Amino acid sequence: MTIELSKTARKKLPLKERYARLTRDLDWEPSYVAREELFPYTRYEGIKIHDWNGWQDPFRLTVDAYYKYQAEKDKRLYAVLDSFAQGQGHLTLSDASYLNAVKLFIQGVTPLEYAAHRHFAFLARHLEGPAPRFAALCQSIDELRHCQTQIHTISNYNKYYDGFHSWSKMYDRVWYLSVPKSLLDDAMSAGPFEFLISISFSFEYLLTNLLFVPFMSGASFNGDLPTMSFGFSAQSDESRDMTLGLEAIKFLLEQDDDTVPIIQDWIDKWFWRAYRMSGLVAGMMDYMLPKPVMAWNEAFELYFEDQMLGGLFPDLKYYGIKPPRHVDDAIAEKDKLSHDIYRILHNFSFAAALTTQTPSETHMAWLSEQYPQTFDRYYRPVWEKHRRIEASGGRVFFQGLPQLCQVCQVPMAFSEASDPTQICLRRSEFRSETFHTCSDGCKWIFDREPEKYVQAWLPVHQIHQGNCGGRSIPEVLAWYGIQDGDNGEYKGSPDQQAWASWHADETGPVK
Amino acid sequence: MTVKALYDYDFPSADRAEVFGDDQLVYVLWDGNPLLCSAACFRVPKHMPFGEFLSTVVHPWAASDPDFDPAAVHNWRLFDEAIDPEADRSLAELGVGHKALLLFSTH
Repeated sequence: MTIELSKTARKKLPLKERYARLTRDLDWEPSYVAREELFPYTRYEGIKIHDWNGWQDPFRLTVDAYYKYQAEKDKRLYAVLDSFAQGQGHLTLSDASYLNAVKLFIQGVTPLEYAAHRHFAFLARHLEGPAPRFAALCQSIDELRHCQTQIHTISNYNKYYDGFHSWSKMYDRVWYLSVPKSLLDDAMSAGPFEFLISISFSFEYLLTNLLFVPFMSGASFNGDLPTMSFGFSAQSDESRDMTLGLEAIKFLLEQDDDTVPIIQDWIDKWFWRAYRMSGLVAGMMDYMLPKPVMAWNEAFELYFEDQMLGGLFPDLKYYGIKPPRHVDDAIAEKDKLSHDIYRILHNFSFAAALTTQTPSETHMAWLSEQYPQTFDRYYRPVWEKHRRIEASGGRVFFQGLPQLCQVCQVPMAFSEASDPTQICLRRSEFRSETFHTCSDGCKWIFDREPEKYVQAWLPVHQIHQGNCGGRSIPEVLAWYGIQDGDNGEYKGSPDQQAWASWHADETGPVK
Repeated sequence: MTVKALYDYDFPSADRAEVFGDDQLVYVLWDGNPLLCSAACFRVPKHMPFGEFLSTVVHPWAASDPDFDPAAVHNWRLFDEAIDPEADRSLAELGVGHKALLLFSTH
């Protein structure tokens, strides 16, 4: 009898029904408390949802299937990590300076994955429909997996190179990492629908190809097999997460006409927030890769102008959604962004957990080919001055702290669209206090919710308040967890010297 | 527009003047010098005379550029207004308040 029963139970249901049983069928109508009490966060943002069941499940994934797929992906990734470590892969990179890109990744991107994991877990509890709750649950686990696999992938380099040791502490403390951290904090402290538009749509859908893919293709071109394999392993998750973003926005727009202006506002805000952060990626792409893949301006044209403005936004027009408010400013600065950003890192790498260097002649020749409109005219003269100073034994570092943008927290180093020699300075007054922003986009975001951004934890102001271990640079670096050799100039750094000694006995030119 | 929230949303500014006591934050931009990527942010006493501000704060910072020549500094501006600061007057007397932006040129 028992055997009979278990045989019946093991009989497989058709996939669609099985999915329904394991997801939506597990939902119930609350009877002890009101719906509003069970889901307190889904009304105050002004979004009206009339039918939570209108959410289409793009993947029809169940928990058991999800874990099976992910386990297989992990198995393949960890095989690559083992063989890279056993084959002394850290010696076969294009150059040790390449790892500055990976340092930026583990310090600035990996903690974002963890923060996203936390907040998608929150959405998996608090969205009202079972389908979006389940999609948020899967994405929460995706993000945790990305965080873990990134740590495992990159930890091998920590055995041989500087700057990889204290990234999670640094994410909470170091000035340039406050750029990604404050963005995620901004999203997590918003309501659940704004979070969906900020992270699932603007971040995962609109800009993922600009924020994430450049690191992976950089890895592929520069001999970093583990990071490249991690990228492949995450890619199928990313496409599922992108679909969630698109599904979320279409679902919200279809529910009620009153929703359209709210969503438009969030797209306007979050495009600019994510785009400003992507400046760090632009600097990485054009300046940190010994073997560059593609220049920022070209990637921007392909992944953003062609795919998003040319492909996605014409579709969204049907719902009454326009391209992001400050998109023309982003287009106008595509030939300047990476140079403006790398100049910041170059000025301040004494206080960073990565090193920087003045581009070589060959590198500058590549940059002037990629940026015929701007490089030779505006940026080459600056780098040549650095080279002259360095030839006589100097190295320019900024002997002080920079003015930061109140919103994006990047030093105020961006130039006016009309004149690359003029720094873009914007300001607002709120409760008799002045607040400085780096662009019309950041000023618009500040003026929209000044009560939120006046609370910003600006690293420079915090140092001046004495909240960062002290007010001298050595005290601050100690508090950041930055050790000698993590920071400063690449040439002559411990990484560069170790690399040279590891390759000194090779025949042929020393790398 | 204000922040949408489920509660009364009212928090103080993180960098309000009172946090800095007798000091204040002042930004200084060396306009037209791309070697230094942005303006600098200093914490200085409100009553520091401008001359002392120059010699102990601005000049050491501007010397990050080895070509810096203090004698070439001119065309001071407070935000968008041209000013002609006298060395013995304090920042406060010159109207340089908390989080004010000063700009200068060298050519």
